[in-house]
Amino acid sequence: MDELRNHVKEMLANGTVAAVIGYKEAGSPMRTKPVIITAPEEAILLVFNEYCLNNLAVYLTKARVKNLARVNGTIKKLGIVAKPCDVHAVIALIQESQLKREDVYIISFNCNGVVKDYGETLTGETIASKCLHCDARQPLYHDKVFGELKDLPASPDEELAKIKSFDDMTSQERFEYFKNEFDKCIKCYACRAACPMCYCTQCITDKTIPRWVESSAHGRGNFSWNLIRAFHLSARCVGCGECERACPMDIPLSLINRKMLEVAKNDFAYLSGRNLETPTLVGSFDVKDKEEFIL
Amino acid sequence: MKIGVFICHCGENIGRTVDCPRVSKAAEWFPGVVHSVDYKYMCSDPGQNMIKDAIREKGLDAIVVGSCSPHMHEKTFRKAALDAGINPFLCEMANLREHVSWVHDDIEEATQKAIDLTRMAVEKVKRNQPLATIKVPVTKRTLVIGGGIAGIQAALDVANAGYEVVLVEKEPSIGGHMSQLSETFPTLDCSQCILTPRMVEVYQHPKIKLMTYSEVEKVEGFIGNFHVTIRQKARHIDASKCTGCGLCITKCPIRKKAFNSFEEGMAYRPAVYVPFPQAVPNIPVIDETVCTYYKNGKCGVCVKVCGREAIMFDQQDKLVTEEIGAIIMATGYKLYDISKKPDDSFIKGYGEYGYGKYKDVIDGLQFERIASASGPTSGEFKRPSDGKEPKKVVFIQCVGSRDDSKGFSYCSKICCMYTAKHAMLYKHKVHDGEAYVFYMDIRSGGKMYEEFVRRAIEEDGVKYVRGRVSKVYEQNGKYIVKGEDTIAGMPVEIEADMVVLATAMIAQENASTLAQTVGIPYDKYGFFNEAHPKLRPIESTTGGIFLAGACQSPKDIPESVAMASAAAAKTMVLFGSDMLEREPVVARVNELLCGGCFYCRKVCPYSAIEVREIKDRNGVVIKEVAYVNDGLCQGCGTCTATCPSKSVELMGFTNEQIFAQIAAL
Amino acid sequence: MTEEKWEPKVVAFVCNWCTYTGADLAGTSRLKYPANMKMIRVMCSGGIDPVFIIKAFERGADGVLISGCHPGDCHYNAGNFHARRRWTMFHQLLEYLGIDKNRLQFSWVSASEGKKFVDVVSKVVNDVRELGPFKGYKELNSEFTAVVNGLKQEVNKAEAVNG
Repeated sequence: MDELRNHVKEMLANGTVAAVIGYKEAGSPMRTKPVIITAPEEAILLVFNEYCLNNLAVYLTKARVKNLARVNGTIKKLGIVAKPCDVHAVIALIQESQLKREDVYIISFNCNGVVKDYGETLTGETIASKCLHCDARQPLYHDKVFGELKDLPASPDEELAKIKSFDDMTSQERFEYFKNEFDKCIKCYACRAACPMCYCTQCITDKTIPRWVESSAHGRGNFSWNLIRAFHLSARCVGCGECERACPMDIPLSLINRKMLEVAKNDFAYLSGRNLETPTLVGSFDVKDKEEFIL
Repeated sequence: MKIGVFICHCGENIGRTVDCPRVSKAAEWFPGVVHSVDYKYMCSDPGQNMIKDAIREKGLDAIVVGSCSPHMHEKTFRKAALDAGINPFLCEMANLREHVSWVHDDIEEATQKAIDLTRMAVEKVKRNQPLATIKVPVTKRTLVIGGGIAGIQAALDVANAGYEVVLVEKEPSIGGHMSQLSETFPTLDCSQCILTPRMVEVYQHPKIKLMTYSEVEKVEGFIGNFHVTIRQKARHIDASKCTGCGLCITKCPIRKKAFNSFEEGMAYRPAVYVPFPQAVPNIPVIDETVCTYYKNGKCGVCVKVCGREAIMFDQQDKLVTEEIGAIIMATGYKLYDISKKPDDSFIKGYGEYGYGKYKDVIDGLQFERIASASGPTSGEFKRPSDGKEPKKVVFIQCVGSRDDSKGFSYCSKICCMYTAKHAMLYKHKVHDGEAYVFYMDIRSGGKMYEEFVRRAIEEDGVKYVRGRVSKVYEQNGKYIVKGEDTIAGMPVEIEADMVVLATAMIAQENASTLAQTVGIPYDKYGFFNEAHPKLRPIESTTGGIFLAGACQSPKDIPESVAMASAAAAKTMVLFGSDMLEREPVVARVNELLCGGCFYCRKVCPYSAIEVREIKDRNGVVIKEVAYVNDGLCQGCGTCTATCPSKSVELMGFTNEQIFAQIAAL
Repeated sequence: MTEEKWEPKVVAFVCNWCTYTGADLAGTSRLKYPANMKMIRVMCSGGIDPVFIIKAFERGADGVLISGCHPGDCHYNAGNFHARRRWTMFHQLLEYLGIDKNRLQFSWVSASEGKKFVDVVSKVVNDVRELGPFKGYKELNSEFTAVVNGLKQEVNKAEAVNG
């Protein structure tokens, strides 16, 4: 922790970065919240532990944060404290031209998992489900990395099991299940606000001419919204799970996102936000892409 | 908005299964429709006049014609709309013939569907916007890249039509591979004799600017308006002074340091050289890598002998920019060098044939040079290793072609013919010699081609063996060719004096890099892609860039020439008018809403989407947004479906229009 | 709408160059197919937004057909390749969310395949007929449908009065 604080302090003092987005303690040592540090002496606030749940990459595309990097007409680096899985989001944002690699300073950690919810000790029971199938506990891209890898508490991947269990259901049953889940939606768009990949200037759901998504929180509008949200994130979602964590109605958004991650992985051997060199799945194609579903 | 609906009976064609009067009656009730009629033949003059009169008299803003397919008469009715004074893009069609009356029997069903389709068209037309044809100015100059036979032909055709041409060739002389050939199939006329006059014509043509020893470095702009940067490599000879006397070449003391690439490495050339005696232009080049002057500043024999003071050791590369309206790609091919295995490639090489290891295992172009009267052996058949006349020659076809496992899956197309020619030329000069050809299939489609191959077999006694060769190795001064005769079902072993490999024709070195520079797509082999394999084989997908010759796929001389003339004709079509007019069906970006993810740029098949910087008052870039170049956009709309925030729309097919159609179902 | 009178409503989104022209050919060849399908023409299958499909379901379609040029035949070269990736993702998402895969079908129909067009349309219409009305989606919004039906009755009344 001191290493992190000292490093950030130094980076801010010598002007390498204009600001650092990180985590600070929020009321209890088992709870954190995002903080943006601009002065070297504030670096003392920073923490990194298994309670750093937020994906801070979401702030990188916010105009107010971007403005922090604009010093006297030049663009300086923005620092970000990112878990290795959050680094995927940073990479995906770079691939989607929202950031330049040279404009972001990635401070990452060899990650030992995070908890599902604040205030719990990290065990096999309480570990976040995304950590159970994590393929990158060491950051794929970073400018500075801290921490040592320890064994992760093991637990069965229930999320995947649940997705697999849908295979046995009839489409009507699945439709009923999701209809009921989506019925809870109150169209607060917290999922969108929490998502690092939802950076559009104007979301499709806010468009009125023509009206793309029925905006009322009724059955059809809800179904359409959740369907379109999931589709727009297909092959772009990095699986951070922030949408589900943000959802006040506990809609199992991760079940859908994870399914689409599996589709991208199985059909195109593609994982989003992993490699700056490979083209994104959307926006590229292979002549030999599978098409057995096409008549 | 006042909309007029016109339902056509198409004689009995629509009227038989669709109750047209009922459709037109129903259409009267569609919101916005103020006028609805049906008529026997809408496309006829009286029919069109009906439309025009209605537009004028009822003050219609938009029309819907329920008749045949828009592919049939959309232009007709748009023109009628225009004549009557409304924007032609405020006309929509409902396809009541091909999609209703001809495919359905039940009158009730068909009529109902016709009403639905008409309603959809009405809903769409309400949201149509008046569009204006896009006009782009055209610079009437052509750039031809590559000075082989295709490039020469294209340049001459365009220049003879009266348009200026810039011909860029990377080698010191034009002529390409054709200048290396001895004789050509199926007539056996001498390649040089038919090519050289063309080369001279290019050189002397007042409309052709010839730039040899030059390469295209950058291409910007779009159809009709390209800005091309060309690098003129330093020849170290002042072209304005040189008379081509050749004294520097004969006096240069460096004789055996550099291989002569024109002779396919079977001879040496001096440090100052022209590739071949008939070179155009006949101006030498100094090869910095072997010239003594560039090593230690000494020698300078050439300077002493040159009476014109044309030697310029300190000459530098020069960058020239040209304004160009159309580009013809004619970069040609090269032969697959099977001795080398490209490291990053899927090609495995053919080590077992011993090319590069045995001097007498040669490829087709080397054989051409041996057979050529101006070649290293002055046209006498002497094998490279010891200069003896080979008495038994084995030709192996499909080396690298039609071979998924070790080479390329495509057929190189010309090898069957040139191998027959090689064997024939050999038999004509070495009467007691034996020629064997190993082949997979003989593909001799073309005028007089099959006859030519039959002549090689029947008149000249070339022995054709159907089968592959597994190995070539040296034994007691002979090359043992082990293969299989699949017709006899027996293994074959031939003791040969020389082996000639018909290696695959592959894309030029750096073809893909050039394609990226110019902005055209290419296939996995590096051949340039045509816009449509059947209907647009000359055009690349990028507007104003055309393809000629073997840069697109393996081709023989007549095909390359035909394609070059076709490409020339295409540029002339483009130059036929001062302004380029195109359908306004192009994409438009809402810069306010564009989030700058540039997925549109990634999916655009035409690289029509550019990055535009939005700056604040102080010139600081606030954001980058997509911007559609009208000259390049072809209006497919792939960007619109990809855009996550729906900030790009295809004019004429906007999302609003399509939603309206869906809602009207 | 009673069960006996129900006819499947199928919407097709087709590209201008291949499938639309293929459908024209089906017409010129006088081939017959069910009248349940209505086509919306776009320039390229690459330009078909998945939201169009959702909109069609919202507007009461029982099935949707998407069709374009065969791979390699695209008028715009690559539009259908991008479309294919998009559909691979989208149809699996829909299926996962419980929309029967026969409700949304895809095909490649070239300009010369009038017969194939007819076969595809007949297959899709039959598949959808077997599945029955797309109650799931239609009932997502029962109040809304009630209002629309009310309006429709008003319109019918007006038509009856005005002749």
